[in-house]
Amino acid sequence: MISLISYLIISLVLFIVGLVVMISRKNIVAILLGIELILNAAALNFVAYSRYVTNNLDGHIFSLFIIVVAAAEAAVGLAIVIRFFQIKETIHIDEATQLRN
Amino acid sequence: MFAQLLFLLSAVLTVGCAIAVAVTKNIMHSCIFLLGSLIGIAGLYATLGADFVAVTQIMVYVGGIVILMLFAVMLTGGKDFVSRAQNLLGLAPSMGNKWTYGIGLFVGLVFLLTNIKLLSNIMKSYPAKTFGNEFPSTVSQIGHLLVKEHVLAFELSSVLLLGALVGAAIIARPRKQ
Amino acid sequence: MNQTLVSYLSQYEFYDVLIGIFGKNEGLLAFVIYLLFAAAIVGLCATIGGLGTYAERKISADIQQRIGPNRVGPYGILQFLADGVKMITKEDVMPNTADKFLFYLAPMLALIGVFATLAVLPWSSGFMMADLNVGIFYLIAISSLVGVSVFLGGYASNSKWSMLGGLRGASQIISYEIPVTISVLSITLLAGGMGFGTILSQQQGTPIHWFIFHNPFAFIAFFVYFIGALAETNRAPFDLPEAESELVSGYHTEYTGMRFGFFALAEYIEVFVVCGVGAALFLGGGNLPFNVQFDIIPLQLFQVVIFMTKALILYYVVIWIRWTFPRLRVDQLMSICWKYLTPIAIFNLVGNAVWIVVFNGKSIADLVFGGH
Repeated sequence: MISLISYLIISLVLFIVGLVVMISRKNIVAILLGIELILNAAALNFVAYSRYVTNNLDGHIFSLFIIVVAAAEAAVGLAIVIRFFQIKETIHIDEATQLRN
Repeated sequence: MFAQLLFLLSAVLTVGCAIAVAVTKNIMHSCIFLLGSLIGIAGLYATLGADFVAVTQIMVYVGGIVILMLFAVMLTGGKDFVSRAQNLLGLAPSMGNKWTYGIGLFVGLVFLLTNIKLLSNIMKSYPAKTFGNEFPSTVSQIGHLLVKEHVLAFELSSVLLLGALVGAAIIARPRKQ
Repeated sequence: MNQTLVSYLSQYEFYDVLIGIFGKNEGLLAFVIYLLFAAAIVGLCATIGGLGTYAERKISADIQQRIGPNRVGPYGILQFLADGVKMITKEDVMPNTADKFLFYLAPMLALIGVFATLAVLPWSSGFMMADLNVGIFYLIAISSLVGVSVFLGGYASNSKWSMLGGLRGASQIISYEIPVTISVLSITLLAGGMGFGTILSQQQGTPIHWFIFHNPFAFIAFFVYFIGALAETNRAPFDLPEAESELVSGYHTEYTGMRFGFFALAEYIEVFVVCGVGAALFLGGGNLPFNVQFDIIPLQLFQVVIFMTKALILYYVVIWIRWTFPRLRVDQLMSICWKYLTPIAIFNLVGNAVWIVVFNGKSIADLVFGGH
């Protein structure tokens, strides 16, 4: 019953939902949530392929590195959000216009 | 039997919470639904026999990233944002207009169809393998892989984490006027 | 390999009889066995948590030269049942401006996080729900749900006291997770595995074979672990999230009735769990002090008794510390974690690794008495 395609469908749904969150939200923290969903969709794919296709553990290693990168990205991203809030007193993404023109 | 039950529960948790992340207006609730989705993904890893990755997922996300996000929401106003928040139905695109949406939809459809074509080939050539009652252990093999074949990536990720640590501390530090 | 309770029980003869009763349906039998043991363990731990409140009041009374609860039952030992009945029958009040969803969710998350850790707690060498090969890692990971619940409880109540308590609690828990995890990691190095079965099988025999006496670094690591565990479970002298003199009662100020009871129960069970983990990692767990060649159920029950004794002695020390030391300030709390415990823990980790290389993995007892 469980096969590769079921994991791929879940991963696809996660990816699309993450993309929708990233596009439709204006809160910077919410955009970071969407990025987490997308990274997790990719990691899930790696582990699923590692089990069903390649039959070695390289996929596990890759998803571990994805988790590490996600942690680093979240830390720096949230630090930037907090700094942005100190300067602009909002975390609305449309207020980040200092580099325009 | 148990693996299938666990798979179904985890899949429902993952997808349901992920959709809830997208449609909830309250950013705090979104963070909590993200937590549920990540735990569901850990359950999916467990059904794939990836015990170490599953536990690492819970460790890093539940213990670290979600709490960080909650902190960030709280430090940046939290509930005050609710009134200005946009959800799916409001559809206020911050990253494009109807043209970008249309092109994105088109590209996505092409991508999806190509993938289905590719995947159907993969499914033919690789029938699903099944484990017995015991799931194999992956910890020692992952340990060996990390310090032998993938040692460069391992060391580079430690440098990345150190850089992220120092960078986050410097960026978030209040500056003297 | 991942051992489970079922795979342990299947070596006995009565397992075959049971399979016959269940009509050769091994999956159903495994489910029933897990269900029964899960119910037994949760019931046992809820009782331990309830008795913990009684022990806390009795021991504090003893330390302060009072009598303590003595009305309900002999020596007041049924006091916790009376408290439980009181909590269940109390009105469930929720603040008008609270975030309803998160307010209901927070106590449940606390209980889920604590009860999920019981799955890998090693009651004896055979009686573990599941001897995962990532056992201790799983335990540390899943217990961080409690941190999320503390934060949510503080946020959702929409009260100044709760908010401050929740912020303090979450920052304290994620900070002290680091020295605790690194101390546990040094034990993982010594044992050569993260499963509780592996860790316990390395400490068989007399107390000199326990990991706490393995080498000087492991000895220090035990104290780092214990201090960090005190802080992670919000126990005094690190009970800043619920400091009653500054924050009323912290993150659960607005909770009444059984929702407050969930938080209290989760806290007491978590204290028992960290004490049990300390006993298993450093103090030999349920290992018998002599070698036996055979394995029968009564021997396993004896191991359970030994494990419980060690854990409850640590539990006593936790309560003793609470009623002896004054509470820390927030800045002192953070400086203890980041300036002292974390460097010491990293030093211990490196020291353990060097010890393993230099002395070829032998403990002090092996070097002195010549063993292995």
